[in-house]
Amino acid sequence: AVVKYLLCVVRLQHAGRYNDDFDDGEDIAEFDDNDFAEFEDVSEDPAVDVEKEPPPRAAPSSTPIEDEEDEATVENEDGQDEFEDADAQDQDMYSKYDNEEFEGHEKTNPSFKDTLIYREVPAHLQNSWESYYMEILMVTGLLAYIMNYIIGKNKNSRLAQAWFNSHRELLESNFALVGDDGTSKEATSTGKLNQENEHIYNLWCSGRVCCEGMLIQLKFLKRQDLLNVLARMMRPVCDQVQVKVTLNDEDMDTFVFAVGSRKAMARLQKEMQDLSEFCGDKPKSGAKYGIPESLSILSEMGEVTDGVMDSKMVHYLTSHADKIESIHFSDQFSGPKVMQEEGQPLKLPETKKTLLFTFNVPGMGNTSPKDMDSLLPLMNMVIYSIDKLKKLRLNREGKQKADRNRARVEENFLKQTHAQRQEAAQTRREEKKRAEKERIMNEEDPDRQRRLEEAAQRREQKKLEKKQMKMKQIKVKAM
Amino acid sequence: MYWITVVAHLTYPIYCLTSYKPPNTETNPTLEDPTPDYMNLLGMIFSMCGLMLKLKWCAWIAVYCSFISFANSRSSEDTKQMMSSFMLSISAVVMSYLQNPQPMSPPW
Repeated sequence: AVVKYLLCVVRLQHAGRYNDDFDDGEDIAEFDDNDFAEFEDVSEDPAVDVEKEPPPRAAPSSTPIEDEEDEATVENEDGQDEFEDADAQDQDMYSKYDNEEFEGHEKTNPSFKDTLIYREVPAHLQNSWESYYMEILMVTGLLAYIMNYIIGKNKNSRLAQAWFNSHRELLESNFALVGDDGTSKEATSTGKLNQENEHIYNLWCSGRVCCEGMLIQLKFLKRQDLLNVLARMMRPVCDQVQVKVTLNDEDMDTFVFAVGSRKAMARLQKEMQDLSEFCGDKPKSGAKYGIPESLSILSEMGEVTDGVMDSKMVHYLTSHADKIESIHFSDQFSGPKVMQEEGQPLKLPETKKTLLFTFNVPGMGNTSPKDMDSLLPLMNMVIYSIDKLKKLRLNREGKQKADRNRARVEENFLKQTHAQRQEAAQTRREEKKRAEKERIMNEEDPDRQRRLEEAAQRREQKKLEKKQMKMKQIKVKAM
Repeated sequence: MYWITVVAHLTYPIYCLTSYKPPNTETNPTLEDPTPDYMNLLGMIFSMCGLMLKLKWCAWIAVYCSFISFANSRSSEDTKQMMSSFMLSISAVVMSYLQNPQPMSPPW
């Protein structure tokens, strides 16, 4: 019975082995058949399959299965090997889950498909420029910027030249020196605009009675900067021409006056040092003096306004109201308010008799060189103003009022800085005391030390007595 | 230098010729446009970031900043400063691509 049992076992083993072999053989057969079938697919479209190669990572997972397979796979190339491995894996799985034997294996099939991850070749190894689209975008942006720079620069240059050509005659007839860039020692007339920037051009004119000199600044828009161009699409701005005439002391009487668009007047009243100090009242509407409503006036006193607003001036202002941003006459001109640091004893800012004109170029940014001719009458107005102010003199009352105003401003200034100056004096005194004390402490000779201390004490007492005397005097006076 | 030349003529009235004195921007800092200086500084910061941290987009922004700084610069400004910032930004771009030739990926 034992022998029979043993024989049975052996037979079963054989059968199993045979089955295995058979299975292997089947597998091999299936594998071979399907292998060839797959190879056909590969030969049709090798490029696609190569791209869809599973990465080497998948290879180790398939190696245990590979062991079961025959030696044929080892002899093949790597690429095909991997492909075969995947395929073999597939086939192996399928063979295990035979339709007739098992049910419900379809559910697991998609998961096998999911485990196949198709990796893409890294972009820089692909031979296509399309993957570098961000870089191409960047370079295109840079090229656009450069193009805009060249175009904008040329446009500004043309506008400046057009302005100069139309105004050259008037300026040369009025000024002996037209165009000085300040580089040479003596004042020499270059006859050209001085380019400060790609969007700012200067022209210095001098050599005329009634004024020291005139600086004209053509402040164009930054057409050469693409960022600025894009910002201007949101918020339109104008080109501006700014004329600053500096006068000698005898060329103008003492007053402060400004006229311009309402917005500009409100802004200047806050920003400008002299307008905020001398013209405290709100800007008055221009309608009272015959000029359009859109313009408002800031003045130190009514007499000044009456004196400046003669018929010719009114005519100029009315006919060119849209081009006038601001006109500012001042004998106390010191520029915009400067933010002072704390603790610094201030001096009154330096003032100069100045006429400041700001004109807007028509076109709101889309100006053409022809528009520059329309600014010529405004330059005539400037010349007229220079001559007029030389003759404009305040009467006695006006002069007194003006002097009082100036004295008041100075006093206010001194009061404001008084506290600061006191503080500075206090700190200086403390420093002195400390230095003396240190000297006494450092004194090695005890006798001298004692003597110095006594001297210091006596000085302190004297000071106290003096103070007490003063207080008594003040009390007596008050009584 | 501030030179005054007095010209007197028998028939013409007396006038003075004053030479041009450029406005002193130290006393009046509001007159100066700070854009080119800011852009220069930004450009340098971005190019250093691009070089050190190997960020391609930093290097590209640095190139843009140096271009903007150049466009807004004054004629009196030193070209050496401009050129050096420009060269630094270009070198940042080149170095970041040499180290990592992969194309730049968009942030979205």
